[in-house]
Parts: sequence; structure tokens; C-alpha cells
Amino acid sequence: MTRTNTIVLVVILIVFVFALWAVLPIDAEKLGRKGMHLGLDLVGGVHLVYEAEVTDNATELARSMSRTVITIQKRIDKYGVAEPVIQQLGDDRILIQMPGFTDIDAAKRLVEQTGFLEFREAELNAEGLPVYLKDYLEQTQLKFFDNEEKGDRLFSTSVTTKEGKQEHKTVAILTKDESGTIMFTDASGKPADKEALQEYGDSVAWIPARGDNGTQLTGDFLDDAQPTISQDISPQPEVSIKWNSQGSIIFDQIAKRLYSSTGDYSPKYALGIILDNTMLSAPRINSPKFEGSGVITGNFNRVEAEELANLLKSGALPMPLKQPPLYQEKVSATLGANFIEMSWLAGLIGIVLVMLFMIAYYRLPGVLASLALIFYGALVLALFKLIPVTLTLAGLGGFILSIGMAVDANVLIFERMKEELRMGRTLGAAIEAGFNRAWSAIRDSNVTTIIVCVILFWLGSSIIASAPVMGFALTLGIGVIISMFTAILVTRTLLRLFLHSPLSKNKALFSIDRGKK
Amino acid sequence: MFDIIGKRFWFFLISGIVILVGIISLVSAGLPSGIEFSSGSMLTVKFEEPVEYDRFKEELVSLGYTDAIIQSAGEGQFLIRTHELSDSEKAQLESSLSERFGQVTEAQFSSVSPQVASETVNNAAIAVAISAIGILLYVTWAFRRMPRPFHYGTCAIVALLHDALIAVGMFSILGALMDWEINLMFITGLLAVIGYSVNNTVVVFDRIRENLTKGIGGTFEAVVNNSLVETMSRSVNTSLTTLIVVLALLLFVGATIQNFVVVLIIGIIAGTFSSVCIAPSLLVVWDRGEWGRFIPWRKTSNKKA
Repeated sequence: MTRTNTIVLVVILIVFVFALWAVLPIDAEKLGRKGMHLGLDLVGGVHLVYEAEVTDNATELARSMSRTVITIQKRIDKYGVAEPVIQQLGDDRILIQMPGFTDIDAAKRLVEQTGFLEFREAELNAEGLPVYLKDYLEQTQLKFFDNEEKGDRLFSTSVTTKEGKQEHKTVAILTKDESGTIMFTDASGKPADKEALQEYGDSVAWIPARGDNGTQLTGDFLDDAQPTISQDISPQPEVSIKWNSQGSIIFDQIAKRLYSSTGDYSPKYALGIILDNTMLSAPRINSPKFEGSGVITGNFNRVEAEELANLLKSGALPMPLKQPPLYQEKVSATLGANFIEMSWLAGLIGIVLVMLFMIAYYRLPGVLASLALIFYGALVLALFKLIPVTLTLAGLGGFILSIGMAVDANVLIFERMKEELRMGRTLGAAIEAGFNRAWSAIRDSNVTTIIVCVILFWLGSSIIASAPVMGFALTLGIGVIISMFTAILVTRTLLRLFLHSPLSKNKALFSIDRGKK
Repeated sequence: MFDIIGKRFWFFLISGIVILVGIISLVSAGLPSGIEFSSGSMLTVKFEEPVEYDRFKEELVSLGYTDAIIQSAGEGQFLIRTHELSDSEKAQLESSLSERFGQVTEAQFSSVSPQVASETVNNAAIAVAISAIGILLYVTWAFRRMPRPFHYGTCAIVALLHDALIAVGMFSILGALMDWEINLMFITGLLAVIGYSVNNTVVVFDRIRENLTKGIGGTFEAVVNNSLVETMSRSVNTSLTTLIVVLALLLFVGATIQNFVVVLIIGIIAGTFSSVCIAPSLLVVWDRGEWGRFIPWRKTSNKKA
């Protein structure tokens, strides 16, 4: 038995050293993201849950959802957020967590933008002149001027913003539904009133720009997009694009059609660049052949050009997301930094007080239980790091709570041991009896906590992936399971070790005189 | 030797009073629910310059946020709780506030749609129900070898309801006094308490079973009391170690998980009390058929074996 005990002790020591190696050093650097995975409430960040606008059937939905997740992932990656979480929740929801990123408005912009880039050209009437909104408003019965083109017409006008910036604004969209009815809507798809559109009569009607085989030129054909600075007299931020092979063919076919070497600027010779139903610019096509490259101009500043390039590279969302998000939360980082220190302090004070209490009450066994507790703490933290478990404030709470509960097994055993000693057994027999008889109580008494942890984890993960609830359930659950073994294995091994030392002769060390009936 | 069982009706009285006070508070003040359950937006704004509460409230009312609940959250910092804000509403609110009170930063913001709120309430109810069923099954299983498993199971469940009721009742009082609201973390704390408190009862009952099978020592009442005394230091010590760490949490971590930690503290105390004083006492009352004594005007009747 002594030999087995020594082997167990060696194993425990090896595990302990390994756990320490995994956890230490506990300095700010290691406890930061490079060490433990810290949850949003500790490092600050943004937590969003979106619902997708569902139009597809079930199989298509599943595919669109996973593509949406990948697209959002790409966008966020390009933004340089460390360890973001982008996950599908349920059938049609997406969870986004961006640790350390606290600008919730920028985060929402980044995610919500559909990122659908398309190219349009002016609709021409029978005389080959551009069609304007007023031409449609004059009609008594709405009818497309260009009968060949069945796609919607987008009417865009130029407005001056409060800051004095020139921008394009989509005033209306003319669409033909399945029954063949043509009607005006606003940019978001709500029906628009014809009377209210009168003042925008000068807006050009833009129709999809298509290649010779009828394919519309969209962002799907992009290979790459980079923010650059234009080479003219007044350098402007812009976005250089590269088409894939199919895209460059379509683009050249369109350029050839729109190019005119003579004449003033007219929408007729321009290619409209439209992102999410809003025109960025409508530059004149100044060459009949581009061979795969192009430039998106617009009234951008450098940041906007960069954002647009990122958006184009990550591609369009397969399905739009409903706004506002179902759930949104922002935690500021300064609040978080404070929490980390405070919760470590709480954990440290908690563990020290529990150890003091155990030593004061149970003496030598208390000291051994304290050693087991240190082992427990190191092992659980190492597991958190290796699994890895994302630590939230509530998760730390669960861990700290589990420290208090972890000694329960030792308390059960020691109380039992004391009784056995009082009944006149030898120390060795009392130790073995204490462990054997207490095991069923230890096992039974942890079952309910584990049941509750499983249910809580489900509750936390079910709707908004609530980090605090999941964190608490996970850390408490892991803690309780590990504590059942460390309390028994470590304490028993250490006690057996002391059994053969002279210390065991001193009964006062085992506080048997205490609590006498 | 302690005579706990002998004082059982005193314990019932104490519990009864605490529960009654809690129920009165629940009926009159209710349990205010946070945005996770009732939807809406919560925004914490921080000003560079100190701003008086009254002026801040006035400004919000004049901006049309008459429904908003405003709490002062430290120097120049306010927590606003209102309906679900759209992006433009939020931007507008913040710009209006900065026009009036100077530079403002948004310390915290969360917003929950009605859809998510109702699903959360739904799932929280399911979680509580499943936990109750799970614990019921567990208790039935844990006491399968008891002479009267149904008695033990029922008493453990009553003790558990007792703890939950006290936790909810006390929280309702605190909620009324300190503007606390229930949220998912409250439910988490409540379930943790339920899981924890039934443990203690199981350990005590386990000892009663052991002593009964050993066949030592007199009446059922005496056996129960003996078992209680034997397990007393375990019950108290375990609760103490747990309370120590939870108090450390309360003192140092505070604010965000405060509600949750307070639920734990109330629950742990109630749970220890119920597993020592209530659940075993109920066993004895049931064994002796003393139910009549709960109704003062009826004499003790129908004695059972």
C-alpha cells in the first residue's frame, strides 16, 4: 500500500507541476488574452445577436446561414479583432462577440452592411436619350421605356449633407412584381408616393449593367479590392478593384458599349457604382477596354475607402440581417480591467480564508486539505486554459464558489474520521473508514449541482449565448467534478504519507478532542 | 447535547415569518424584471463634468423619455433604462445630452428585443421546471433504500421550496429597497441555490438512514436528532466555507454580479437552516402525525405509528 501511495503521490506532483507550468506566471500579460481566454465582461467588447431576413427554404437557409457567418467572419478578421466569436444560433440567428472592441456602432455597421455591389447604366428611351424620373411620373400607366430590361430602375439624386459633403441619395426604386405590376418603392422597399417624388424629377433611371449574355456585373465577380489614392491633381482616396476572368469580360463588354470619345459628360456614358442600393459614384467610362482592373471613385475619406475595400473583399451577405439586432450589449474595457483585478483578489482572499478556517478547525488534516485546495485551484485554472474555457466575471464567480464547495468533500471525510477516532479506531483505520464511508455522500451531494449546471448551460446557450450564465455553469460544473477527485485523492495520499511519520503520534494535530459530545 | 427536533415548532415559526414577509413583499412590490426579461434598452452615460440627478432627469423628460428609469451610477454617471432604442434614437439621445451637459461617453449599452425577452422568460421557466424534475428524480433515487422514500423525498422538496421561496421573497424586498431587478443571473443564482441546498438535506437524511439501519437509540425523534447533531459540524462548516468565498465575491467584485451573489448568500443561509432545522423536523412531524398542530384550534389527532 505504501508503494502505491508513493506512485500516486508522484503522479499528483507531476500533474501539479504541469498545471503550474500551464498557469504561471500570473502576471497581467499571461492573464490577458495570450493566457486565459477572458470573456466580454472582463475585457470589454461587443455582443450582438442578429436574425436573418429569411426568404429561402430550409436547405438553402442552412447554406446561406453558413455563408453569412463566413462573410461576417472575414469582415471582422480584416478589422483586426482578436478572437472574435461568430456563430450560428438556432436556425436563423447569428451571434457575434468581439472582445476588446468597444465601438458598438462601428461593429454594427461592419456586420449589418449587406455589401452588395452592383453596376448600373442609364436607361435610354427610343431616341437613345437618358430617362429621368419625371419621364416616369408623366406616364398615366407605368411602363418601362426600355422594354428589354426587366430589372428594377434606381433613381438617384445628388444631395448636399449637413457637413457640406456631396452625396448620392436613392429617392426611389421602380420595380415590376411577379404579376407584372410596376410600382415605386423607397430605398428600403416600402411603397413610395408618386406625389412626393415630384421634386426629384431630375433623377436618372439606372438599370442593371449587363454583359452580352445578360449577366449583371456585381461584386461577385471581384477578385480583389484595395484602398488607393487617385493620381490626379487633387489626390482622392478611392478603391482599386480587380475582376476575375468572367468579370473582366463582362466589364469590357459594358465599357465598349458605354464608351464615347466625344461629347460632354452625360449619364449615357457613365457607369453607376451602387452599394446596397446607394450610388457611390457614376464616373464616365474613359476607355473601351479595361482588361480586368478598375477604380471605384466616390466621395470617400481614407477610412471609408479602406472600409469599402474590406467590405468588397469579404463579399456580400447572402441574406440581409434584421435591424436593430435582437440583442446587443457593449461593455467598456475600463470597467473590465477593474473586474479582473477585483475577482482575482476575491478568489485569493476566499481561498486563503477557507484554508485558514480549515487549518484552525481541523489542524493537520486542515493543512493537507489546504494543500489539496491549492492543487485543485492550479489544476482547474490549467484546465480552463487548456480546454479553453472563456472566463467571464460570473465564470470566475463559479470558480470561486467551487473553491468553497470543494472543501465540502474534505469536511465530510474529516468529520467522519473524527467520529471513527472517537469510537476508538486507530488513526490508519479511521482514515480509511473516513474515506470509504464518506464517498457515497460526496458523490450524491454533488449530483444535484451537476444537474443544475447542465441545465444552466443549456439555458445560457439557448437564446443569446449569455456569456455569464454559460460561464458560471461551466466553471462551477468543472470545479465540482474535479473537486470530488482532488479532495479525495490528494488528501488521502497526503494523510497516508503522514500516517507513517512521527507526527501521527500527536493526536492533538488531528483535533480529536474538539467537538466532543 | 442539542435538542433541535424538540424546538421544531419554533423553527417552523421563524421560517413561516420570513416566508410571510417575503410573500407580502412579493404581492405588494412584486419582482421587477430587468431588460433581459421585459425587453428594452439600458444605457450608462458618463459626463466629464458632474451633473445633478434632477437636472439630468428633467432633460430626459423634456427629450420625451418619460418612461425612462434613471439611476445615478457614481460621479457624473447615469444609468438610463427605457424602451428598445433604435440606432438613430440612441445617437439623437447622446447628442442631445452632450449639447446640454458637455462631453458624454457611453460606458455601457445593452438592448434586448421583445422577441428575445419573451424567449428568455420561456426558457428560464423551462430550466426551472427541468431542474425541479431532475432534482425530484434524484431525490427519489437517493432515498430509494429508505424505509419510507416518499416521506424523505417530499420533505427534501419542501425544504428546497422553502429555500427558493425565501430567496425570491428576500430578493423582492431588496429589489424594492435598492432598485434591483431579476435577470438571467438571478435565475442562475436561484438554481445554484436549489442544487446546493438539496445536497445538505441529502447528507443529513443519509445519516438518519444509516442510524436507523444500525438500529441504535430509541424513538424516531431521538434518532433524527442524533443524526442531526452528528452531521451538524459538517453542515455548518461546509456552509461556512462556501459563505466565506461568496462574501469575498460580494465585497470585491460587487456591482455586476451583486444580485447574483446576494441570491447565493440568502440561499446558502436558508439552505443550511432548512436542511438542519426544517427538513428533519418535518420528517418527525409526519412520522408522529402532528400536522394538526399547524392549525392551532384543532387538537393533535390521528396519531400514526
